[in-house]
Amino acid sequence: MAKPNIEARDKILARLSGKELVNCFQCIKCTSGCTALKLLELKPHEIIKLVNLGFVDELPSSDIIWTCVTCLKCVQRCPQKASPYHVIIALRNLAVEREAKVPEGYLKAVSQILETGQVDTYQKIVTRKMETVDRECLKLPKISAPKESFQAVFMKTMEERTA
Amino acid sequence: MKTAVFWGCCILTSQYAYEMSLRQVLPKFDIDLVDLHEATCCGDPIKSVNDFTANYLAARALSLVSLTGLENLLVPCNRCHFTISEAKKAIQSNAKIGQKILGLLKEEGLEYNPDIKMWHTIDLLHDYVGLERIKKAVTKPLKGLKMASHVGCQIIRYTDLGRVDDAENPKKLDELIEALGAEAVDYAEKLDCCGAALMRSHPDSALSLAGSKLKAVQNLPADGMVVSCPDCQLMFDAKQKDAGTTVGAKLKVSVVYYTQLLGLALGIDEKKLGLDLNQSPVDQLQAKICA
Amino acid sequence: MTRIGVYVCHCGLNIAGVVDVEKVAEYAKTMQDVVVSKHYAYMCSEHGQHMIQEDIRNKKLDRIVIATCSPRMHEETFRRAVAEAGLNPYLTEIVNLREHVSWAHTHEPKKATEKAKALVRMGVARARVLEPLERRRVSVEKSVLVVGGGIAGIQASLDLANAGFPVYLVEKAPSIGGRMAQLDKTFPTLDCSACILTPKMVDVAKHPNITMLTNAEVTNVKGFVGNYEASILKKPRYVDEKRCVGCELCTKACPVKVPDRFNENLTEKRAISIYSAHAVPKIATINPDHCLRLKHDKGVCGKCQEACEAKAINFEQQPETIQVKVGGVVLAVGSEVFNASEMAELGYGRFKNVISNSEFERISDASGPTGGKIVTPKDGKTPKTIAFIQCVGSRDKRFHEYCCRVGCMVTLKQAILAREKIHENVTIYVCYSDMRAFGKGYDEFYRRARDMDIDFVAGLPSEIHAASDGSLYFDVYDKGTNKLLQIRADLVVLGAGLVPNSDLADISAMFHASRSADGFLLEAHPKLRPLESATAGVFLAGTCQGPKDIPDTVAQASGAAAKALDLLSQGEIELEPLRAIVDEDLCSGCRICVSVCPFLAIEMKADIVEGKEKSMAEVIEAVCQGCGLCGSACPTGAIKIQQYNNKQVMTQVDAALAETCAEGGK
Repeated sequence: MAKPNIEARDKILARLSGKELVNCFQCIKCTSGCTALKLLELKPHEIIKLVNLGFVDELPSSDIIWTCVTCLKCVQRCPQKASPYHVIIALRNLAVEREAKVPEGYLKAVSQILETGQVDTYQKIVTRKMETVDRECLKLPKISAPKESFQAVFMKTMEERTA
Repeated sequence: MKTAVFWGCCILTSQYAYEMSLRQVLPKFDIDLVDLHEATCCGDPIKSVNDFTANYLAARALSLVSLTGLENLLVPCNRCHFTISEAKKAIQSNAKIGQKILGLLKEEGLEYNPDIKMWHTIDLLHDYVGLERIKKAVTKPLKGLKMASHVGCQIIRYTDLGRVDDAENPKKLDELIEALGAEAVDYAEKLDCCGAALMRSHPDSALSLAGSKLKAVQNLPADGMVVSCPDCQLMFDAKQKDAGTTVGAKLKVSVVYYTQLLGLALGIDEKKLGLDLNQSPVDQLQAKICA
Repeated sequence: MTRIGVYVCHCGLNIAGVVDVEKVAEYAKTMQDVVVSKHYAYMCSEHGQHMIQEDIRNKKLDRIVIATCSPRMHEETFRRAVAEAGLNPYLTEIVNLREHVSWAHTHEPKKATEKAKALVRMGVARARVLEPLERRRVSVEKSVLVVGGGIAGIQASLDLANAGFPVYLVEKAPSIGGRMAQLDKTFPTLDCSACILTPKMVDVAKHPNITMLTNAEVTNVKGFVGNYEASILKKPRYVDEKRCVGCELCTKACPVKVPDRFNENLTEKRAISIYSAHAVPKIATINPDHCLRLKHDKGVCGKCQEACEAKAINFEQQPETIQVKVGGVVLAVGSEVFNASEMAELGYGRFKNVISNSEFERISDASGPTGGKIVTPKDGKTPKTIAFIQCVGSRDKRFHEYCCRVGCMVTLKQAILAREKIHENVTIYVCYSDMRAFGKGYDEFYRRARDMDIDFVAGLPSEIHAASDGSLYFDVYDKGTNKLLQIRADLVVLGAGLVPNSDLADISAMFHASRSADGFLLEAHPKLRPLESATAGVFLAGTCQGPKDIPDTVAQASGAAAKALDLLSQGEIELEPLRAIVDEDLCSGCRICVSVCPFLAIEMKADIVEGKEKSMAEVIEAVCQGCGLCGSACPTGAIKIQQYNNKQVMTQVDAALAETCAEGGK
């Protein structure tokens, strides 16, 4: 039988800006309107309830927390401002902290930003007229990359655990 | 006015048309853009990894503005605008986080300034420039053109954070379209999400969301779709073909940035507006405009 | 030399759980003039009061200090006890060790005890300089003003009138009946609302003790408990009430259409019409905002006047203001319904077939716009699927945090009515979050609904869309099945909750009846005094005090009437002497006090002093509430609040600072 982990729950609460997560009375509006429900079975109300009752430990290692589209409809419409989106972000952070399964795309983003400051590399685009263009040939200005001091500070921020 | 501009990553590295069209249309309204150098990502993809880092990167963007001495910052991307807004709120409401971030910024020689006035393309054009001025500047009214607006998610939600338009009944982008002489078409799927955030982990689902919306727009009596965010444009324009395959539909929707549409109405050359770079069939749209 | 008795109450554990009451009592013993210092578990109990009375008699005490809960709780109790023992009740001082100490500093018992000692020290210092005061008795007007002619106002009026007291019943609409008159049936019995209401309405109209003033509003109120003076504005109907027979020939002749408010704007009526099907009084009224004759010059239209055989139309009718003197007021002004268009995602106001419970009720009513047939507003067809959605605007931090209390029952009723009228040819969904069926017969009513094959979906939808054919569709996730239901409905009914009237702020100001955080009128105490406001003489009945159903409304109305009878039947009341008084020798006639008094309780009177005419302030004792604004504003110190003069206040300040060391000058 699943045992609640109140400490883990309080850790999540500490990451959130408010305590409204505990105000949820399961009206289900969030899930009814969730963009990710039909395709990926994300049920925000279930996640909120699980965290509320302390059943936190199964969530960071689940796939479900990575299905949120971040459309923010649940934040906008929740009558108790319980904000499932923010809870999901907190669970994702916890997953990273616990070194659980994190989709590669996010880890790639981290290393890319560390390297160049941007999350993507400069692309060459093929136009509809089958021409290949880039920033230079489009005469768009060069934006300088951040100084070296950025990397050190960036790494420092990554060590920060908000709880 | 002179305003700093934070481009984010997407626009600088692939969504060139947004940058091109903005650089073309804004001077027509006496707005000069000053690029932020040494800018980094706003932190949006990092939010899921470490919220604190994301807030730092966003605060960093605001701090770079101080180096220019300017008071205004244009953030053309919906997600960057949201991320920076949330960072501001976090710093304001949590003294501990605020202190830490300010300390780290100092290590980079930067100073945080929360009083910078932040704009998005929509409210810069709708509220600062104003519909009347835009109407007057139009030389080629887009008469008879019907466009479906897609304002996006993170620029209208959530209201408590302070966004640029109403979350349930956003009108500004529609009014901007109508200021050009075109008609803004209302439709049930208007507030549906493009799915961009899922590309990093669930690309099929992301494309399915984009495809469903494109399908709905295709069925409208509309000549095309207007967006104001590079992520949305990526999904509806660059990935239109893939989206079509995912939902099993042949999609032929013209998708343009509002600034591209605005540029056309101002009589600016289509090449300068980056219309060649749009992957969706915008030629049919251009043909209608030129007719 | 005074002889002071100090009594420290434990208040069970409320005070004693934090404050060391023994230490406080011991400390008090060390103070000068304190002859007796005791502590006891419940000072307000009979034993506690007896203790004080015994000490007054045996130990010849002439000042009493009771360190206990808030004076708002038991000051009266202790004053009475002291008076019974032969001591002037105003020589009693209450020190608040509960709200001001134990409840405020629950986690710091040591500091709390020190604070308690300091407060008692202050109380003893003040007790020394208290003065004996007498209460004045004033007569009470033996009549009542009832504001609002809905079921609450009707019930209160009938109870008061039957008890033999004259009642002025003021209703702003052209007919009494209020919201209950707009209902088809009432839960849980499915009684026809009009059938149980109209007899009472007629009783009100016929009752010799009730002066029914419809199409009227209270515009001004002066005075105080037992002696109110109200101005009532009778708005012109432009129809002679004595001549109109209610035949409605005028309505048939009128060319102007106006939205029909009684029918929730689902239909139109004419600029001259009778308010509703069962209107009391059954007299026509002209809407001056739409009537052509009244808006433009004379000579335009006037068709109603031509048609009226009773010659009752009078376009020159003027508004009339009447003044009444009453002893008490019952506020029964009702409430409004949440405007669901504020929740834009549900489509109310955008989609014609998204309606509220109120509109459904009119559609279901046989005397309503569709003759009682359940049809959709957009195309008048019978719906094949109806969806009810609950908690619209209620339990929501974005709109109103409270539960509207009646939404669940209203929807159950309407779902049952829909099933009864359309039989098995309709699918009925009720999307809910919680089902609150708490009253007598209510949960049985819920079971009745389930018996009728009504589908209860445990979940609320996030948004509603309309298809091109006007039908509505939405997704809703059901907790029971864990399935996402994709519902298509012809009619969506929103359970929009009851909200405070938009003009309640004006009522609140006019009658000095405060409001609670939720915006409704505030009762004096939620458990012990739910029928009255904190302002003496103003009683509360019905939904203006908070959303509630008809049984609770009627109960509260009868209760409020009983409270008013309480006030009226004695014929006299006592006034608190803690009022402002003017020292005429010091008054310079500057009028500053007049300008700051929020109760208009000060008048200037002219007098001859030393041969010269002098204008001086005079306090209308009966209106003065003793708030003290005048006392602090007066530049000469001429106006003082009894029992709160400079000496009485400063002595407490000195006592407060007596055992502290203040470090200043840094």
